Amino acid sequence: MHYTFTIERGNFTDAGQASSSVKRTLKQLGVDPANIKRTVVALFEAEINAIAHAYGGTIDVDIDEGKIVMVVADQGPGIPNLDLAMQEGWSTASAKVREMGYGAGMGLPNIKKNTDDLKIDTEVGVGTTVTMTVYLV
Amino acid sequence: MREQEIFFKHSLRINDYLCQGCTTCMRSCPTGAIRIRGGKAVFNDNKCVDCGECMKVCPHKAIYIKQDDFCLIENYGYRVCLVPTTFIGQFDEKYKTKAIYSCLKKLGFTHIYEVEHEVDNMVDLYNQYMEDHPEIRTFISSYCPAVTRLIQVRFPSLVENIIRLRSPLELASRVIIKRLMDEGARREAIGVFYVTPCAAKIAAVKSPVSGKETCISGVINMDFLYNKVQLLLHDSPRDVQPINHALTSRGVLWPLAGGEASLFKGDHYAVDGLQNVLNFLEKLEDEAIDAPGLVEMRICDQGCVGGVLATNNRFVARKRLEYRARLFDRLQRTRKPEPRNMDPEFAKYIAEQMEIPEIKPRSLYKLNDDFAEAFKMASRMRKIEKALPGVNCSACGTPSCAALAEDIVRGEARMDTCIFINPHSQASADAVRRIWGDRVKPGEDNKNNP
Repeated sequence: MHYTFTIERGNFTDAGQASSSVKRTLKQLGVDPANIKRTVVALFEAEINAIAHAYGGTIDVDIDEGKIVMVVADQGPGIPNLDLAMQEGWSTASAKVREMGYGAGMGLPNIKKNTDDLKIDTEVGVGTTVTMTVYLV
Repeated sequence: MREQEIFFKHSLRINDYLCQGCTTCMRSCPTGAIRIRGGKAVFNDNKCVDCGECMKVCPHKAIYIKQDDFCLIENYGYRVCLVPTTFIGQFDEKYKTKAIYSCLKKLGFTHIYEVEHEVDNMVDLYNQYMEDHPEIRTFISSYCPAVTRLIQVRFPSLVENIIRLRSPLELASRVIIKRLMDEGARREAIGVFYVTPCAAKIAAVKSPVSGKETCISGVINMDFLYNKVQLLLHDSPRDVQPINHALTSRGVLWPLAGGEASLFKGDHYAVDGLQNVLNFLEKLEDEAIDAPGLVEMRICDQGCVGGVLATNNRFVARKRLEYRARLFDRLQRTRKPEPRNMDPEFAKYIAEQMEIPEIKPRSLYKLNDDFAEAFKMASRMRKIEKALPGVNCSACGTPSCAALAEDIVRGEARMDTCIFINPHSQASADAVRRIWGDRVKPGEDNKNNP
């Protein structure tokens, strides 16, 4: 099953629609609540990252019989130093984003913690593609 | 006892004579537990969480709550009326609390005891529980039984956040029984009757989530008792017996939205009203909100004064309770405080009795126990949903096109129940097209389905 969503820069208000609809499907499939939680938390974090940092993007979700693959691709500034970004507490979020309660530097580390497989392709000035996989059974 | 085989025992009933099959209840149900069959609403007992929303919205008063026969109280020598302060809030401030209680005695009760009498002990139990579970970040109060059941069926991953303690009602019933037995009463002679403001509390008494037995002998609907008491009050408002009550303002306010949460020192949240509860739980489940501390949740707007069996306006009832709370606080200052400490043996018994060993998630979304089969069904459901018109007209007897798609893959409905897909005449097909445009394109999505 395939789902596509679009991400709009700075639109925190509408965040979470992708995770909500993915969550519904996983519940229908009878996936273990702990795995649903991991999936949804990772997807939401990735979406927030793209909303806060990038200039827009897309979310593509594929669910098959054993796993869920979520690809969050943005046209954004890219991540200049991926090793730093993977460290807990390290953040480049603007003051405005922090004011909204985001930007604690937990995004990527949290995604890594909640997924079974994480791949990040990033190019400064072009964009970032985050591919997350969670095994469901 | 005939409904033993189902998970929950319900008290909500539909009066087929009054029901017009108008779909109002079906569309408002938060768990999609209602369908129209044979022109009447019918419940799916395994989906219903007893929130009472259907009864609140029914324009024909066709939904009611089955209560125990009032005559049951005659079976007992000690007839205890376990009354929540929500009941007192139904009456004008000009009536003394003692006058209200006197009426209850005239109706046949021998003892009156407030459900919220024990809230201070309850707060201690809560605090202990939270201290014992440092691994839980957000604690959800188990006070509103409809919330607990809603979490079980719609938000299974949040089950572990529910405080696994039974309600103040269960605590109060045990305390009053103990007191009467200490005075020499035999257990069999004591009947404890609870006055309920809603359907969920009856269901919680009749089939407790803990699986443990309740001490409540019967449940009486609040609106029924209100009418009886109001009539007596009206006839003889000054006929007041000396009845002691030792309610504190904390107890009086507990059933109101915020009344419970505000008793806790740490971070707390008070969420009331069905839509607010659904929204909060949804966000909490996604970790889109971080809510460390205690979350009080009430399905009814304004808390229990918004219960479907509360006769008077919830905002008026709230004001009245706030007035009485101030009054009781003044009284309390002139009176010797009741000893709060239970004897250690009884406290131990209570702690054991109050514990709920496990709350099981029971997802109502799951399509099949077998993942591969569920996957097939979910894929098919998405296809069917795309083929349906999406106007959620409910003419098929389900709340929405999405619900019809689910019923179809579960084998409980057919594609041709949709009047857009299967209009009964050319004229109706034309009429549908005039109003809705070309909503359904007969094509590849439809033809694979029955």
